[in-house]
Amino acid sequence: MSEYAKPLPPDDPANRPFWDGAKRGVLMLQRCLDCGRHRFPAARYCVQCRGERSEWVSTSGAGVVESYCTFHRAYWPAFAAEVPYDVVQVRLDEGVRLFSNLVGGRPRAGMRVRARFDPVTPAVTLVKFAPE
Amino acid sequence: MNRELAGRVAVAGVGTTRYGKLPEYDAYDLGVWALKAALDDCGLGFADIDGLIVNRIPDYQRFGEITGINPRYTTITPGQGRFSGICIQTAVAAIAAGLAETVALVYGNNGRSAGDRYGGASDAYGSGGAGLWFPYGMTSPGAFHALMMRRHMEQYGTTTDQLGAIAMAFRRHASLNPDAVMREPFTLEAYRAARFICEPLRLLDYCLINDGGVAMIVTTAERARSLRKPPAYIRGFAQAAEFAGSTFPPDDFWRGPMAKVAKDVYAMAGAGPRDMDALMIYDNFTPTVLFSLEGFGFCPVGESGPFVADGKLAPGGALPTNTSGGHLSESYMQGWALNVEAVRQVRGECGARQVADAALVQYMTAAPVITSIIYGRDPQ
Repeated sequence: MSEYAKPLPPDDPANRPFWDGAKRGVLMLQRCLDCGRHRFPAARYCVQCRGERSEWVSTSGAGVVESYCTFHRAYWPAFAAEVPYDVVQVRLDEGVRLFSNLVGGRPRAGMRVRARFDPVTPAVTLVKFAPE
Repeated sequence: MNRELAGRVAVAGVGTTRYGKLPEYDAYDLGVWALKAALDDCGLGFADIDGLIVNRIPDYQRFGEITGINPRYTTITPGQGRFSGICIQTAVAAIAAGLAETVALVYGNNGRSAGDRYGGASDAYGSGGAGLWFPYGMTSPGAFHALMMRRHMEQYGTTTDQLGAIAMAFRRHASLNPDAVMREPFTLEAYRAARFICEPLRLLDYCLINDGGVAMIVTTAERARSLRKPPAYIRGFAQAAEFAGSTFPPDDFWRGPMAKVAKDVYAMAGAGPRDMDALMIYDNFTPTVLFSLEGFGFCPVGESGPFVADGKLAPGGALPTNTSGGHLSESYMQGWALNVEAVRQVRGECGARQVADAALVQYMTAAPVITSIIYGRDPQ
């Protein structure tokens, strides 16, 4: 089996609950305890109310494809075998946006999607999306 | 916006290097080359400079050391294209406030020889969190604009052929500009045949990474009038930023901040979109031109595609735009060379690509920081 050669997420301690959740098959987001706004990536202060108190919460992982683009150029050698590939811009129902890939089929703008979890290495599970 | 500032500060001198692959020059060297040309353009010397603003050149102190400039006012800004407009506005404000009388703005970019990449591991576009999305293959400002363009296509029916009309128009301007790197006009068929980089964007929708330097000498209108070339008066300038959520494309294609900038810049200049004789639109990628035309009120929201399709941005068109060829065909000098082109147009020194009777020329950039500057042949 060949070694996984694509880039992996930066190991930022602040974001570990997100990646730990992904390994368990749950999409976790940080949520402000003062105003309730969700956010990702992690930040000490809430962008809406600047509150400092927060918690990590599980979500349904449901959202909508706002847009997508198709890479024909490989910016990393490990993507060369995959071009052309799609990147989707997903807006979760909690309002948080993510860039990701669609599992199974081609994206459309406005498509309802739900998180799928792709264990790419023993340590890292990526959050991807599939049509609902 | 301070209307009293309109026309009180002017660009007295501009200088540009050759553009292309210049491996024997580093960013400092390119800046010095351009600055010498700008000083020669207006007849001033290094000793006349009392303000220094450097952009993309790595270090202001080193630049002052190698040129012997000891300014009363200095600053340095990040090497992002949105900062060209910001720097020019800062120079005008510094002069108006009496911090300096004659400001040298110096830009040097050796990105081509240095092998700069705008995608992949070195991608630092936007607010710097890009590494989080690399695992999904998401990278590059080009992809960010491809996502925006896809939404524009879905919402308004805009087509890639309309992007082709922009790229073709700018190349036709470049064919009249001896300094442009890419000068051979192409057809819509050739545009359609160009390879996709990040679909819906093709190679011909992307700006040209090159080496080069640009400098401007900005001073009081009074002093500019005593110098070698006719002043290009700064008739209006404005800025607005939209940082919240800016890791992702803006829902409104930056129309909100552009509307603020448009209101301020036109009020300051006492003019409106219809009064502009030519436009210089920051064209990192062709879709930005569409978003700018809508945001500044040149056409209704959603109608920029049909608006550009008839060639009105091309030489001889109703709204000549990026008459140098812009970033797509002259060279990606991150807004600086577009500002120089605006100056040269209002001076009437653009030769075959000169816009007849160019009295007002507007520069604009659409990005998380929106800027616009209106240059005038006359002070009022």
